[in-house]
Amino acid sequence: MVDIMDTIEPGAESAVDRPLPPRLEVTPGVASYDTPAQFDALPSKLSVHDLDFFYGKEQALFANDLEIKEHRVTAIIGPSGCGKSTHLRCYNRIYELYRDQKAMGEIAFDGANILAPGTDLLSLRRRIGMIFQKPSPFPMTVFDNIAYGLRMHFKLSKSELSERVEDALKRGALWEEVKNKLNEPGLALSGGQQQRLCIARAIAAEPELILMDEPCSAIDPVGTAKIEELLQELKSSYTIVLVTHNMQQAARVSDYTAFFFEGRIIEFGATTQIFEKPVQRQTEEYITGRFG
Amino acid sequence: MTATTTDLSRCPMAPRSVRRRRLVNTVITTSSWIAAAIGIFVMGWIVVTVVVRGIGAWNVAFFTQLPPTGNDPGGGLANAIVGTLVITFGAAVVGLPLGFFGAIYLSEFGRAGRVATGIRAVTNIVLGVPSIVAGMFAYALLVLPSHHYSGFSASVALAFIMLPVMTRTAEDVLNLVPNELRESALAMGAPRWRATLGVVVKAARAGLITGAILAVVRVAGETAPLLFTALSSPYWLSGFFGPSGYFGGPTANLTKDIYDFSQQPYPHLIQLAWGGSLLIIVAVLGVNVVTRLLFQRGKEW
Repeated sequence: MVDIMDTIEPGAESAVDRPLPPRLEVTPGVASYDTPAQFDALPSKLSVHDLDFFYGKEQALFANDLEIKEHRVTAIIGPSGCGKSTHLRCYNRIYELYRDQKAMGEIAFDGANILAPGTDLLSLRRRIGMIFQKPSPFPMTVFDNIAYGLRMHFKLSKSELSERVEDALKRGALWEEVKNKLNEPGLALSGGQQQRLCIARAIAAEPELILMDEPCSAIDPVGTAKIEELLQELKSSYTIVLVTHNMQQAARVSDYTAFFFEGRIIEFGATTQIFEKPVQRQTEEYITGRFG
Repeated sequence: MTATTTDLSRCPMAPRSVRRRRLVNTVITTSSWIAAAIGIFVMGWIVVTVVVRGIGAWNVAFFTQLPPTGNDPGGGLANAIVGTLVITFGAAVVGLPLGFFGAIYLSEFGRAGRVATGIRAVTNIVLGVPSIVAGMFAYALLVLPSHHYSGFSASVALAFIMLPVMTRTAEDVLNLVPNELRESALAMGAPRWRATLGVVVKAARAGLITGAILAVVRVAGETAPLLFTALSSPYWLSGFFGPSGYFGGPTANLTKDIYDFSQQPYPHLIQLAWGGSLLIIVAVLGVNVVTRLLFQRGKEW
């Protein structure tokens, strides 16, 4: 077992008592903007270094480098098949469900390389929550869905459990809609509600980082607006990585944007910079809709 | 400007004969109807005949008494009903869990691996083996070494038939569970076994229960495997161990009784055989229908 504390450089603040970075001034509809100096000063929750990924013999990611800053929303955009989801799926090693998939390189999460063989995947996945494209409520009641991670990872009394479930549903902006339906099946909710249920379910396990793989692509516009609103609230407590094929969404909700193309990270920077003054020609062509 | 576009007006498309299309349509529709009607008619004929001939045998004695000895009229098949239930239950206890966990291995862990592919191939072969072979298998495995027939060996033979049926249906049902659900459970930090039993199996439970019940029903009416194993018995089933009148010895069962009694020259025994047939048909049909009705709604989970 690698102790996280050992892997942090001397002099660096420990992961535990590191103070929250100052809240960004968030104007609704306008993405926030860190200056390059601020970006460098922000602690990285996760740093990807030289990440390659293979589906069997076919290489899908090439030498990806990326810094995911704490308490920021980082969007990953790019055309279909460019490796956005593949990249995201490395962060919690969920790709390992499939035998022929393999990642190489380094992903440092709070300093420890999660691709290292000894990594405890169960606690890693508690600390890194994931929301999928299709809402995937478990075949159980609303309450049990939220309680799933809580029961698995924590020892809680019945009343503590109920409190935690209520709290998670509130933070997932779903409480008002389901407080009288806690014992109904999660699948009885609407699509947008199901997705917020999945977000609340992930939040309940107290993750530090939340991965979202096109969370709104199966959701109607009203549900999407609610989820985007929720993202803004969540980033004060969590770090969020959002894969999206919807550029407007990336522009609306993210602080940083990485543009992927053919398995490579073409450009990474503050969202406003990427959308207003992209440096790379390919980024500009994609943003302006000339391909993708 | 449109240099690359072919001028289509030069090669007009002749319309295909509408009359011919209608004719082919009629022929195929009609022959499907006829084929289906023949099948359903034969099935209906069998059911009606069994009901008409068998219903007369159904009285209180039929369900409560032992078969008559010799020429005495009256009597029933109560011991065979009990025996068939116990043998089938024993088979289910052995066959269903094995099939269930086998299916979990195939769909969740083995997948397209070499071992799983091998198991799948063997399962398909065993699925096509005549049921009497299962009887011979249990005979060689249990009856010969113990020197006597037994209800227990019949359960093993039936479990052997049930196993591939359960494995195949359960695997099919588990494969219908979307991968997102597996990923979601694992992404919550669930260990593999917990994601499988707590989420995947739960999502598939309606189909799994239906499959299990249908697998049981499938073997409930088997005769051939019982010839070399349970044989039959004129006595009540009075316990587990022991050579005669016990589960460890020859055990009365409906299908063997039907087979035996239908060859007797006494009308009242033939009547009992019809009654037994009716009971099996009603039970199998009933369980089938009830299962399908119950679990059609289950899909909403």
